[in-house]
This record gives sequence, C-alpha cells and structure tokens, in this order.
Amino acid sequence: MEKTDRITDRQLTVLIFVSLLSPMIRILPTSAVTLGGRAAWVSPLAVFPVSALLTAGLRALLKNAPEGVGLQDAAMLGLGPVGGRIFGVVSALWLTFYGGFLARSAAERLLSTVYPNGNPPIFVVVTLLAALVTASGLTKTLSRTAEVLMPILLAVIAAVLLSAAPDVTGENLLPVTYRNWEDILCGAVPIFDVTAAFAYFLFLRGHVARTPGKRPNRFPWLTLLLLVAFAVTFFTLGTLGVNLAITMENAFFMVIRNIKVFGVIERAEAVVVAIWIVTDFIFLSAILMIVSEIWRTVTGVRRRAFFTAPSATLSGMSAFLIARDAFEFMKWSDFLVPAINLGITAVIIPAVLAVGKIRKKY
Amino acid sequence: MRKRVPALGLALCLLLSGCSRGLTIFSNYRRLESIELVRTVTVDTAEPGVSVAIYGTAGEKQEARMYEKEGTSIGIAMNELTLMPLGREAILSHTENMLIGSDLAEDRLDEVLDYVERFSEMRLDTGLLVVLDSTARELVSGLAGEETPASDVIAGLSENIDRVGKGYIFSCREIVSSLAQNGVALVQCVRGVKEEKLFEKRGEMNIEPAGFAVMRPDTVVGYLTEEETLGSMLLLGRYRSRNLDVPVENAVLTMSVDLVTPEVKPVFAHDGSLEKVDIRLKLSSNLVSMEGLVDIRREDVREKVEEGLSGIVESAVSAAVRRGQEMGVDFLDLRGILSRREPIKMEDIPEKWEDVFPALPVEIRVESVFSRTYDIIDPPEISGREEGGPWKKLIGSLTDN
Repeated sequence: MEKTDRITDRQLTVLIFVSLLSPMIRILPTSAVTLGGRAAWVSPLAVFPVSALLTAGLRALLKNAPEGVGLQDAAMLGLGPVGGRIFGVVSALWLTFYGGFLARSAAERLLSTVYPNGNPPIFVVVTLLAALVTASGLTKTLSRTAEVLMPILLAVIAAVLLSAAPDVTGENLLPVTYRNWEDILCGAVPIFDVTAAFAYFLFLRGHVARTPGKRPNRFPWLTLLLLVAFAVTFFTLGTLGVNLAITMENAFFMVIRNIKVFGVIERAEAVVVAIWIVTDFIFLSAILMIVSEIWRTVTGVRRRAFFTAPSATLSGMSAFLIARDAFEFMKWSDFLVPAINLGITAVIIPAVLAVGKIRKKY
Repeated sequence: MRKRVPALGLALCLLLSGCSRGLTIFSNYRRLESIELVRTVTVDTAEPGVSVAIYGTAGEKQEARMYEKEGTSIGIAMNELTLMPLGREAILSHTENMLIGSDLAEDRLDEVLDYVERFSEMRLDTGLLVVLDSTARELVSGLAGEETPASDVIAGLSENIDRVGKGYIFSCREIVSSLAQNGVALVQCVRGVKEEKLFEKRGEMNIEPAGFAVMRPDTVVGYLTEEETLGSMLLLGRYRSRNLDVPVENAVLTMSVDLVTPEVKPVFAHDGSLEKVDIRLKLSSNLVSMEGLVDIRREDVREKVEEGLSGIVESAVSAAVRRGQEMGVDFLDLRGILSRREPIKMEDIPEKWEDVFPALPVEIRVESVFSRTYDIIDPPEISGREEGGPWKKLIGSLTDN
C-alpha cells in the first residue's frame, strides 16, 4: 500500500455517508413504503439500534487489528491464505456486479424521470468513465471530494425537503400505533440493507491512519444518514399518501416536481438530479476502488490502479447484460440484489471477521 | 502543466452553461422568443377519442394563443399539437390548470390523471376542474377577451374560490392521492355563463363555480349542491371564509364567517361498535354590512345572529354528510378522520365500515361567536346614545353648580 494514500477515520466515515446517500435516496421511500405501508416513516427510527449494533460489532471485531490491515487482509489472516483469497474473489466479483447494478439503476432512474426517450448505455458509460478516473486515483482524493461535497448535498436535501413541507398532511401519515410494529420492522429492512453496506468500506480500512487515543465513532454519521432516510420518507409519504407513493418508482422525485417556493421558484428537479448524479458517482467510484483494493491484496500486485479499468469494464458489461429492459431490471432491484447485499454485509463479513477473532489472529 | 490541464478542463465546463446557443452543449437551451408557455390545458371527448387544446402566452406582449388537436388519446393529441405550425415550442411544465369536459370526466378521469402522472413535464400540482353544460374548450375560448386572457380569469378563480366559500380547486396530486386512498375524490366543477360585458375587451363568457363532483376513477358518482359543497369544505378543512346573510328582526346582517378547525369524534357503544359520530364546529363571525337597522350591542340580538349562522352551517354540514350516506360513498373521509382520532378502537369495530357508514347517526353541533363589527358602531338612534354621553351630563351639572 502506498504510504502517501492515507486518510483519516473521519474521511472514511464521510465517504461512507456520501456513498450510502445514493442508494438511500434511490430506494426510499418506495421500497420502505411497499413493505411498511403508512408506518414506513417510523421505520428509520427502528433501524438505528440494529445498525448501531452491526457497526459496534464490526468495530469490536477489528479493534485489535493492526494499522494498515483492511478487511481483505483480515480475512486472509483469519481464514488462511486460501480461504481468505476465496472470500476476496467472491467479494470482488459480487462488488463488480454490484457496481454494474448501481450504474444501471442510476441510468434507469434518469430515464424514467428526465429522459424518457433515452437509452441506458450512454448513461452507464459516462457514469462508469467518470468513476473510473476517480477510482484510479488515490483514496484520499475520493474521500476529500466526499468531504467537500457533503455539506452541499446536505444543504440541498434540507432545502428541498423544507420546500416540500407545506404539502405534508397528517392524513397521509396517521394513524400509526403500536399495532403497526410489524409494518415498521418490515419497512426497516431495506433501510437496514443500505446502512449495512458500510461493511464494504472496511476493505479500505487499511488506508486509515490511526490517531493514538482516538477511536472511530460512526454513530453520529449513522444517525445523520437515518435522519435523511426519515426525512425523505416522512415528506414523501406526507405529501402523496401511502397508496399513491407505492405506485411510483421515484416518489421522492414526484414530490420535487411539485415544489414551489413563495410562488417564485418552480420545477427544481435539476437540483435533485444533481444530488443523484453526485452521490452515484461517489458510490460507484468507491465500489470500483474497493474492488481494485481486494484484487491488489489477493494477487499481491503493488499498483491498485492496475485493476480499476478491467473492473469498470466488467461492471459495464454486467450493467448491460443484467436486464433487457426496465421491467427485467426491476426484478433484480426488488429482491435479489438487496437480499444478496444483506447476506454479505450483515452475515458473511461479520462471520469472516468473527472467525479471525476466534482464532486470535488479530 | 499540472495546473494547466485542470484549468483547461474547467474552461471546457463553460460549454455547459447554456448561456449561448452557438457554444453550448446544454440540450435544454431555448430562446425566450421561441417558447410558448402553456398555462391552461383543456381536454374534451371528441372523435376519434379526445380533443386537447393548449392555451399559452408568448412574445413580449404575452399574447394569448390557443391550439387544438384531436387524437385517440391525450398522448396522441399532444403529439399532434407539436406538429402544428406553432412557430414555438409548447412548454407544459408550468401548466396551472387543466379543465376537462363533463363527458370525459364521466368515464375517463383515470386516463387524464395517468397522463399527468407519467408525463414528467407536467406538474402533479396542476389544478383540475370539470366543466359542466359545455365543453371545456368552449368555456375557455369564451372566457378569452382581448385584454383578459382566459388563463388569467381561471387563475383568478383558482386563487379566490375558497375565500368566498364557493369551492376549492383540488390539484391532480390531491385527487390522485384521494382516489388511491379512499377510491373516491372530490373535483371542483365550473360552468360558463354569458353575462353583459363590463368592458369591451373582455370575453363573451364568465366562469362560475358549480360545486364539487364526487368521482371515482372511471365514473362520476354525483354532483354536490352549493350547500353540500360548503358543508364538505367545512369538514375537509378547505374552507377559508364566506359571507352569509342572517335576518334578525327588521334587518339583514351580512356576516363574514371564519372557521376554527372542526372536531370530529367517534362515540362507541359498550360492545365496541360505533354508536355515532360527534361533529363540532366553532365559527368566528364579523359583521360586514347591515341592511335595515338593529342594535347589535344588545346581547339577545347577537345571540340571534350567532344562532342564525350556526343553523346555516349546521344545515350545510348535515347536507354533505347525508348526501355521502345516501350515495354510500365516504367522500368526506370520515373513516380516516375517525381512525386518526381513535385508531385502535376504530380498528376493532366489529362491523365493516361500508355497512356502518350509510346509517351511522351523526350529531352536528355548531358554536358561533360574533366577534366584531369592524370600525363601525351603531348610529345613536339605534343605540340610544346621546351626544356627549354621560360625561357631558356630569360636566354640565358641575358647571351649573
């Protein structure tokens, strides 16, 4: 690993936060509302303890791992060189596919909302090319970019949601009682799925320079991410109502289409599209970087950038081959991809780290 | 070199600014003179399916223009419109209101709403109105005058209709949401009336509110009277203000009535079934004008005014509830209101709402308060005040002594 490519723990956390904003504002509120109905706006609150537990658990498992050890190094220590490499190859292949899935879903979203007569390839290629350039660079460049963009993104999201506030009605949000606990938990599943994806970023842990006496604290960022999830679900559901929101692929965008600020500003969709593009770009760059990092560790090749272009090409291929049209793509995005994602981030990764811990390898 | 490459890259970004036609690669760039800003759209039934007309403004003088095309569906007709020699590109993203003929509303409301939902250029907050007694196109064309664009007249109605208590223009979003939530929605109806022209350059017709239509996605369940519409507005929280006449003794008082939020409560029997619904409304009223003379400083007179107003409002709310029960359609969303008030108990009622609702006893109580008379007090012949009042008497007696 290049010694110059070091980031602080805060920078890694901000990179995680900005990256996860992408799937968070893509799947919400539709996926949560589909599962949780009217009670879905309470679901982000229910996610917090579970996500916090996963975060704390993974932190505890890696607590004694030395500086410069990322998730892939830890897996190779814990499972042995062969087992660790198998884990690495499977993870890299999955994340390559997942990168393609992200690029395709970003393209599908732009097509269904802004460019109805367009085709996915151009969007996929442009997004991947932009991500490739960034992912070929240093981790600290991407992290710093996320750090610079984060306050802008948060300010824009807050402004957009506040502008939508006058349309929110209690009729669309209530009643929600203790009897809806099952709905609340069901709605929490897709939100937890997104927050659990922070586990992928542990592959970049090796780049984090440790500050003596300072322990990484990701809870404030987790809280902020869930606050964004809550706000997006609350305002969308409060504006459209559950039965209408459930019929829409991008209900949040539909709310934005209606925004009027003091009768002066209308049609502010471009702002939201910009948020989508920026967060998709950061997340995809991070995924390509993680994949390259895994290959570098598995193969022992010095330069990570060597693997970035092939990974981006494979991601592009999977983006094209995953589905012929939006309907086929929906089948992937509705269940299969989120389920595999959850399995890897909430089960396999903790299990791999637990094995290493039990074997006292770190 | 390290600085020159990023600088060049940033300079190339200027091409994305959209500031000039020649240099930009920003695809949405349009010159102001080349666009037709559509403010109103009308849709009517016609051969072979629908007739769509768009009403826009263009040019420096903001001249009003109308273009019309027929097609098998709204999408086809809109497509045909783009082929018309408009000389400008029609921009639908700021459409304020959509008017549909009652023929179309009878069985194809869902098609209209579906088009607005899917077509990303349209806003879901576009107001939707049903035109009675004529086609929507005839009404809007009749409204258009040399100095009164139809869109301005409709916008005026849209802004003020709830201020005079004659209705409320629900947006497509509110209608779609209500249909999705309750299977039924209220839509404002209007009709055109031929009136004497107040000035030469206005249109042939005027537009007036004609109550709410109770609509399902593919049918009109019924049309509400003016009284039922007022009652619905009061219960749905869409009411802002209205002037009402109350006769008291030898005078008729015109009162401006403001509503304090209505309170709707369920009353349950011992076995958990729904016994009745208790509706309470609090009104605050102010004297706007008086025909004839009556001493409004008398408490019994004010009580009569309050009773008169309560009676009118109670009758309107009662009429709206009764109409819903007769239709068997909960267009006031009483179930939703009651569920928000008592979610657990409402969930546990043994009967189905559809069975309970038509015969559900509803008790309506209206409390009216006569707040103020603005800056005018009664003339002396009514109030009995003498010039100078008691002070003059007191000063007079002191100076005499």
